Amino acid sequence: MSRIIVVTSGKGGVGKTTVTANLGMTIARLGHQVALVDADFGLRNLDLLLGLENRVVYTAAEVIIGECRLEQALVKDKRQPGLMLLPATQNRRAEAINPQQMKQLIGELSKMCDYVLIDSPAGIEMGFKNAIAGATEALIVTTPEIAAVRDADRVVGLLEAQSVKRIHLIVNRLRPKMVRENDMMSVEDVQEILAVPLIGVIPEDENVIVSTNRGEPLALADNLSLAGVAFQNVGRRLQGESVEFLDLDNNNENFFSRIGKVLRTKIF
Amino acid sequence: MTSDSVLPNVVPTPTVSPSLREENIKFQVRLKTEDGGLQLILPAEAESSIDHTWTELWEQLKHRLNGGDRFWQPQTKVRLMAQDRLLDGRQLKAIADALKEAELQIERIYTTRRQTAVAAATAGYSVEQQLRFSSVVSGKPSQLKEPVAEPLYLELTVRSGVEIRHPGTVAIVGDVNPGGSIIAVGDILVWGRLRGIAHAGCQGNSQCRIMALQMEPTQLRIASSVARAPDKPPKQFYPEVAYISPEGILRIARAADFVRTPIETMEDKR
Repeated sequence: MSRIIVVTSGKGGVGKTTVTANLGMTIARLGHQVALVDADFGLRNLDLLLGLENRVVYTAAEVIIGECRLEQALVKDKRQPGLMLLPATQNRRAEAINPQQMKQLIGELSKMCDYVLIDSPAGIEMGFKNAIAGATEALIVTTPEIAAVRDADRVVGLLEAQSVKRIHLIVNRLRPKMVRENDMMSVEDVQEILAVPLIGVIPEDENVIVSTNRGEPLALADNLSLAGVAFQNVGRRLQGESVEFLDLDNNNENFFSRIGKVLRTKIF
Repeated sequence: MTSDSVLPNVVPTPTVSPSLREENIKFQVRLKTEDGGLQLILPAEAESSIDHTWTELWEQLKHRLNGGDRFWQPQTKVRLMAQDRLLDGRQLKAIADALKEAELQIERIYTTRRQTAVAAATAGYSVEQQLRFSSVVSGKPSQLKEPVAEPLYLELTVRSGVEIRHPGTVAIVGDVNPGGSIIAVGDILVWGRLRGIAHAGCQGNSQCRIMALQMEPTQLRIASSVARAPDKPPKQFYPEVAYISPEGILRIARAADFVRTPIETMEDKR
């Protein structure tokens, strides 16, 4: 039985597509067959992040209309066998497709792989409804900002109404230093409002921008950056492994402040 | 916040804003226990000033079912009171599916609309078509003031965008998140954190109270008074009660002290 997971957030720009791309790559690396579905019709991005743009021939819309077979539209990733992408259309708008059709498409796709990750568009309109139609699980991506958390809360409510009960939370773009200085919501603050089990915390990382522009997800690198490790941990937790959360607090401290800390703890 | 203190930023509203006067409370999906079975009452189209979309209705139903599902015996029979609402076969199936998920069964559908009756009969449900007349009478709440309904007890998180309206007292086991709201004709009890909006006594009963384990609301409303929370949250939270004092000001008291408070005010009156 394959798992169908929608990646959603409500608010835009919190990193849904980045999470989808990296998580897909990670899960494929762990040895599973993964299909990524770009459900952001009209504003497709996922192919860019994966560096697969120039290999897209057909898209999900053509499959739904019946202009091509599903296998024809799937783009296989050469760097990571096991990863496939079902791209979104640029020209047809989301209204042309209904949740029923989407559900059927996802159902067919799920027969071919272990994981289906659906990248949902921002908002709670038709595109969102299409994206969650076939899903049985959800990953809520949010940043530690009140607006993002508020929207995430709304989306959790909508998912619950749609009977998507297995929901996990990813807190993205956390800046431990700002949290320490009380300038940013902490992971605990976010969790307290959303009351959804946490599956990952991704620190803010400049490498994400670089990798996005290159079309090489962080999780693809041999030498994983901190955010890359965080994504890998999410992938492993998703498999059911219990992995400890990264200690983001100590990572940015330099040698001397650590020594200072050690000394202080010795004295008192 | 010391006990029995007026909120520092209380905004007493001497003039009643029109939006706070008469809330038409009757337009949400309701589940009611009625001689052994359950009644699922859909808001009548004639009653609701706002046009309820089907999606909204369906979401309300799902939230009600999610919030109360442990109170029903499996396979309880449900009578669907569709009133004057137009429902097609697909929508009837969606309602039946939602009920089935909560292990409830539609026993019979009551409607005043011929088209709904036909759709229901086609889908294989037993149908009773009622006279239109009855719905017209109950459609005038201003003349026929209904007694306050039985309390609504829900175990769920009221999340952003969700609004619970009930013509009686509401008890929530869980949090009310910012962006969520509860509007009740009676009291409001939150066994959790109240961070959204709560409006008790929305049809003008200023005796109503709002109680919460942790009171950090966006706004509190009782009858026609409005108050917002202080800008600085208190250092420590304890269960609190919001009520309207005899002077007509919305006040908040520590729950432990509240029992004492009304006695004092009674003496003041004398």
